[in-house]
Amino acid sequence: MSEPVLEIPEGWEERAVDGWEWATLWEAVEEGDHGYSHERVQEAIDAGIDPRVILDDGLFPGFNLQGDRFSEQIIFIPEMLITARAMKAGLALIRPLLAANDEKPLGTFVMGTVLGDMHDIGQSIVTIMLENAGFNVINLGTDVHPDKFIETAAEEKADMIGFSALLSTTVYYQKVTIDEFEKAGHRDKVHILIGGAPTTQEWADECGADGWGRDAMEAVKLARRLITEQRGAWA
Amino acid sequence: MSDTVQLRIRDDDGQEQSITATRGETLLDAAHRSGVEITATCGMRGRCRSCRCKIIDGTMPPPTVADTVQLGHEEIRERFRLACQTRIVADTVIKPMPPKSESGHQLLGGHVETTSLDLVSGVEKIAITAKAPVSEHHQTSDIEEVFMAIGAPLKSRLVPGNLLQDLPAKLREQKGALTVTLFRGKIVDIEVGDTTGKSYGMAIDIGTTSIVGSLLDLETGEELAAVGMLNPQAPFGADLMSRIAYAQFKPKNLAQLRGKVLSGLNDLVRQAAEKADVSAEHIYKIVIVGNTCMHHILLGIDVSYLGLAPYAPAVRDGQTIAAADLPLKSAPRAHICTLPILAGFVGADALACVLSTRIYDSDTVRGLVDIGTNGEMVLASKGKLIACSAPAGPAFEGAQIRHGMRGAVGAIERVTISDDVACQTIGGDAAVGICGSGLIEACARMSDARVLNRMGSIKSTDDLPEAVAARIRKSDHGQEFVLVWKTQGGKDEDISLTQGDVRQLQLAKAAIFSGVMMLMKAMDVSAEDVDELLLCGGFGNYVDIESAVRIRLLPEMDPEKITYAGNAALMGAQMATLSEAEIERADALVGTIEHVALAARTDFQELFIDGMNFGEPGLQVLSQQDEAIAV
Repeated sequence: MSEPVLEIPEGWEERAVDGWEWATLWEAVEEGDHGYSHERVQEAIDAGIDPRVILDDGLFPGFNLQGDRFSEQIIFIPEMLITARAMKAGLALIRPLLAANDEKPLGTFVMGTVLGDMHDIGQSIVTIMLENAGFNVINLGTDVHPDKFIETAAEEKADMIGFSALLSTTVYYQKVTIDEFEKAGHRDKVHILIGGAPTTQEWADECGADGWGRDAMEAVKLARRLITEQRGAWA
Repeated sequence: MSDTVQLRIRDDDGQEQSITATRGETLLDAAHRSGVEITATCGMRGRCRSCRCKIIDGTMPPPTVADTVQLGHEEIRERFRLACQTRIVADTVIKPMPPKSESGHQLLGGHVETTSLDLVSGVEKIAITAKAPVSEHHQTSDIEEVFMAIGAPLKSRLVPGNLLQDLPAKLREQKGALTVTLFRGKIVDIEVGDTTGKSYGMAIDIGTTSIVGSLLDLETGEELAAVGMLNPQAPFGADLMSRIAYAQFKPKNLAQLRGKVLSGLNDLVRQAAEKADVSAEHIYKIVIVGNTCMHHILLGIDVSYLGLAPYAPAVRDGQTIAAADLPLKSAPRAHICTLPILAGFVGADALACVLSTRIYDSDTVRGLVDIGTNGEMVLASKGKLIACSAPAGPAFEGAQIRHGMRGAVGAIERVTISDDVACQTIGGDAAVGICGSGLIEACARMSDARVLNRMGSIKSTDDLPEAVAARIRKSDHGQEFVLVWKTQGGKDEDISLTQGDVRQLQLAKAAIFSGVMMLMKAMDVSAEDVDELLLCGGFGNYVDIESAVRIRLLPEMDPEKITYAGNAALMGAQMATLSEAEIERADALVGTIEHVALAARTDFQELFIDGMNFGEPGLQVLSQQDEAIAV
């Protein structure tokens, strides 16, 4: 296992304006300095740098570095959260510009903790990570009834659904909810991802999910991969 | 191809038990179905190594992912597999070989101070001389003659049917010399002769991990025997949630768990009576406390919904059940009393702790914490009581920790770091693993030595002594810190603490820490305002208080104000056994304790995340530095 390193985007100098420097922003996101992140992104916008470039060259390197460290357990939830928040502070400025440039979100993701389960932290971390990665995330919170998932997925024409469960007594409802999507005739229209401490790849296979994320970072990687696979269209 | 295969299970003595298994079922399912117990601490999820088996003979099943993760390539080559993951494909001979560190256990008792108790237990023995009826003119009956001899009117004239069956002979055996035993004013026994000195009760605490009990003389309050055992349900999951999950929507599994605890209780009562050299027939009152899940399983109540929000118990009031109805065969004359339950995860054990610590009766702020897989805590101030539960998971019991083990001989329990690391084990034996209290102490000392930063990352710093720095290394399990080198320990490998272990501990201690902090917040007091914090229960009494404060398992308060309270739940049960007034008090208290549901509080997430950090003396912790962490 090798120590994750900062991956400097190739050719970033050509994409930035003359004399522009990203290193301080990479570090700010890594260290979770949301004030600086916000400030530096605003400066980049004012300098006329393309929002897509700000995102890819400015915000992602520090975020990805911490994400990899989180996956390797080198850093833990509190540090991942402050990094995610610093990323979000910068992203908030860019998002409207991306939309104006006709950039679409990677996909629409409906997220929530299953019925009977009140655990919030895990799914809120996954939510912020997915948002940072470019997904439009609708977060339904905790103790979500299968009907609510189905209803929201249909309304939002969701591409992907995530079910979190943190208790060995509630993972059962991951399966129940997937079965309900099947019964409603919507199973083929969405990718379903599951996660949470008691879950495993075996359980994901058994309950009929399309994928399992060991942690938030893996869930994001999985979502990015699966989104490229076409599912059936919503009516 | 036949659908059944032969599975032979070899024990330590080389004896084999042959069972017929269905092709494709797991080794563990087949074994359990046939009554062979293989412990699955993680609840059969492939998350621990307790169900490790060696495949002695037969087709070697391919290793699963969980096998590889838990056992490693070497053990897989040596024909080890996890019984919960391995599916039987052909005739096989296996030998269960749990890692040494998964067996053995500490039990904690305690005896309550009786001087302040009102020793009215509800059990009354009266020696009488009754006359057998003599006149056919004046019709009466044997039992009416007994009533007559008692004199004072009884609360009920109902007599258990089996007492009537041999009453005619008893009445005439010693010229009417009888002893009548009453429980709450009703006849529960009629014996020949005078047995008035023999009036016993039992207090039992059914914990998820262990069951402890004590046999008491109801007249003097004296403890005559202390007994304990591992909870026989343990093979079906170490923690509460895996126990509930096992029985959830599966009445057969619930019945199985119930059968286990009932037979355990039968053994425990017999054992206690033998140890005290008394007849179990003279045990008349048994007070049982335990968490809500243990309570429900004992009574055979469906626990399916206990595992789902809002985690509502089926009943909260204390129950009284005749031994025959439970059934508890070993104490046939007893009544079993349960104390009331506060909430799904704040059970009768918590109420018993409140009774024995008397925190309800205090002018200052006092609290109690039961540190366990399901932590329970209560805070009291001037008659106001609030309680909550926090799921810490099994890390404190050494489960799901790489070299974790229960607090048994050979477990590292004390750690010091100066020029090098020194570890002390329970019993002084060569180290074979680390128990929960050792884990806490190791992290505290590693934090002091700056091997751990305040976020819990294992890091090498420049000024570390050479011998300490040499213990930090990369492994297949990520960064780790070697506590005991292979050459100095009692295991065929180095005993280390991995980064993943530290993360497990961070989650566990954050649960307890944030639970206590939340109660303080709800009571609107700070850690300095708390006059006394009592550590209850098995685990709390082995924790080094200074280390627990150091790693922020317990609030940052003066360690002098934190005290060990022994097995406060058992002591509360003892009080309720000896004194009916304490049962009445428990019934009254339960209605006044406010329950704080942590998950429903929006400010809980912040406290929990902050609670994961180890902190550093003189340094502000994350959330105080940076308030708006919520996402």
